[in-house]
Amino acid sequence: MKRNIFLFQLFLFSSLLFAQTNDEQKYLLTTETSTYGLSTIKLTDPYLSPISYSGIGLRYENESRRFLSTQNTNISKQSNFKLMCGLAFNPTITASMTYMGMNYDWGMHYHFRPFTGLQLLVGGLCDVDFGLKDISRNVNNPINLDLATNLNLSGVVIYDIPLSRKVLQLQIALQSPILGYMFVPGEGTSYYEIFELGNFTNTTHFSSLHNKRGINGTFSVDVPFKYSIWRFGFNYHELDYSSNNLIFKRKDVCLLIGSTFDIATFAGRGNRAPRNFISTKE
Amino acid sequence: MKKYSLILLLTVILLPACMDEPGEKPNTNKGNFEALWSIIDTRYCYLDYKHINWDSIHTVYKQRFTDSTKVFTFFDVMGSMLGELKDGHVNLYSDFDRSRYWKWYTDYPSNFSSSLIHSNRYLSDNYRIAGGLRYAKIDNGDIGYIYYGSFSDSFSDTNMSYVITYFKDCKGLIIDVRDNGGGSLDYSEQLASYFFVNDTLTGYMRHKTGDGHSDFSDPVEIKTTANKTTHWKNSVAVLTNRMSFSATNDFVNRMKMAPNSIIVGDKTGGGGGMPFSSELPNGWMIRFSASPMYNSNMQDTEWGIEPDVKDSIKVADQAKGIDSIIERAIALIKK
Repeated sequence: MKRNIFLFQLFLFSSLLFAQTNDEQKYLLTTETSTYGLSTIKLTDPYLSPISYSGIGLRYENESRRFLSTQNTNISKQSNFKLMCGLAFNPTITASMTYMGMNYDWGMHYHFRPFTGLQLLVGGLCDVDFGLKDISRNVNNPINLDLATNLNLSGVVIYDIPLSRKVLQLQIALQSPILGYMFVPGEGTSYYEIFELGNFTNTTHFSSLHNKRGINGTFSVDVPFKYSIWRFGFNYHELDYSSNNLIFKRKDVCLLIGSTFDIATFAGRGNRAPRNFISTKE
Repeated sequence: MKKYSLILLLTVILLPACMDEPGEKPNTNKGNFEALWSIIDTRYCYLDYKHINWDSIHTVYKQRFTDSTKVFTFFDVMGSMLGELKDGHVNLYSDFDRSRYWKWYTDYPSNFSSSLIHSNRYLSDNYRIAGGLRYAKIDNGDIGYIYYGSFSDSFSDTNMSYVITYFKDCKGLIIDVRDNGGGSLDYSEQLASYFFVNDTLTGYMRHKTGDGHSDFSDPVEIKTTANKTTHWKNSVAVLTNRMSFSATNDFVNRMKMAPNSIIVGDKTGGGGGMPFSSELPNGWMIRFSASPMYNSNMQDTEWGIEPDVKDSIKVADQAKGIDSIIERAIALIKK
């Protein structure tokens, strides 16, 4: 009898151990951040006008970051999706320029951790940039497209600031285009000639630091509240590029507000949720 | 390592400041004059073709104003300077006026009367309208007549399909584009496409590639594609006058190459340069010819296109309610 009780206790103990092993199973979390911004913009597009236009813009941005695997927490992958729109005016306010832009980038960072609470991320991001500028009063050149793909150098500093009851997370992110391709029409080339007559000569250009320079910097602070973490930030984006003897400029200064949270994703046979996760599919 | 990182960071931050700023002229009378003169000097496409000494024009016109000259007078000086280009595609737009050069048609007979074409002899009161096309059978139903007054007015393949079905028993078709000041090149190509059996090279286009007056790109072919679904097989006459301008000029140039077509009336007004827009520091907009267009023989179409059969409206005919040019086209179709 004593022997049976011992075996039963051994079984319970091993079961407990097994359960503890399951609890220590690691899962990757994806940090999702969505921000909304209000910005001042300055646009110079000599294809449309030699005069710079200034105005205001709105922005939505989604940032997604996670480590490559549970075994490697030094390399993370990141993607960003941005939507922008703006309305700018010439200095005499006799004409307006409408701006719409979209940008998607994807890349990786290596995480350096010099000391507790500080992370330095260094890596690269590939992006696809699309923009449309419209001065509707123009004839035959009312619209110009910004089409580009870039490889960007990217660096991020993340620093935890412990306070008495919470930890603020400060983040400084910098990006700069290093090389890529861009679409720039000639000063006198109409879109009719390009797209209707199919003359794409001299419209696509290799870009690098010799003809495209920019800095996209964001300073933000993540502030935890009881059930959410809010992000407050400031973004400065300046991009200059030139081709076909035209120099284009885009500058915006943006105040950001948003929220950030971690999510775990489960999908497929190889990545099923643990039993203590309840899904509507079950 | 820290030193190099800092240098790299500073380089990335400071690089945008290194790109040359585009030079914006000051918003003064002198600055605006120089901006306008410079835009035409570097981007207008017909200075050499028209043998215009633009430097001399600068010398002459800069003496006609000072920075204290009132805005209306200054606008008139700028407008007069642009008038030297003798181009209907060149305009200066302000909030209070638009400069223009209209002598390309005001110095010539009108050769068109709206009341004539709307008389019982032609369109009458019961004409049909399909998109921007007004049409009716004339000459006892033998001839189809379409009046198209603006290439800014849209029409579809379906519109044209019905029009051609309506005229299927007619011996010929007249397309009247007199007093049509132009519009969209897309409609020009679309309207011409119904009269071509095969895709046909009908012209060329170039654009400025540099600041020099003759810095042009290689010519690009302009082809008129035959419409895949709708086709007019019989004779077609296109009626023109001096006010047939810009996209209408382009349409006439295409129709010159269409089989079974004949151009009747007066020389077109021209406007062979596709216009672009730019802007002065004071916000005024300038429109100017930027991309020259040519016929299939690489001849410029800026000064207009000669008709195959030149004719005009006779005063005696007009008094009797007869449009001499329409009657001439009917006779040519029936010949």
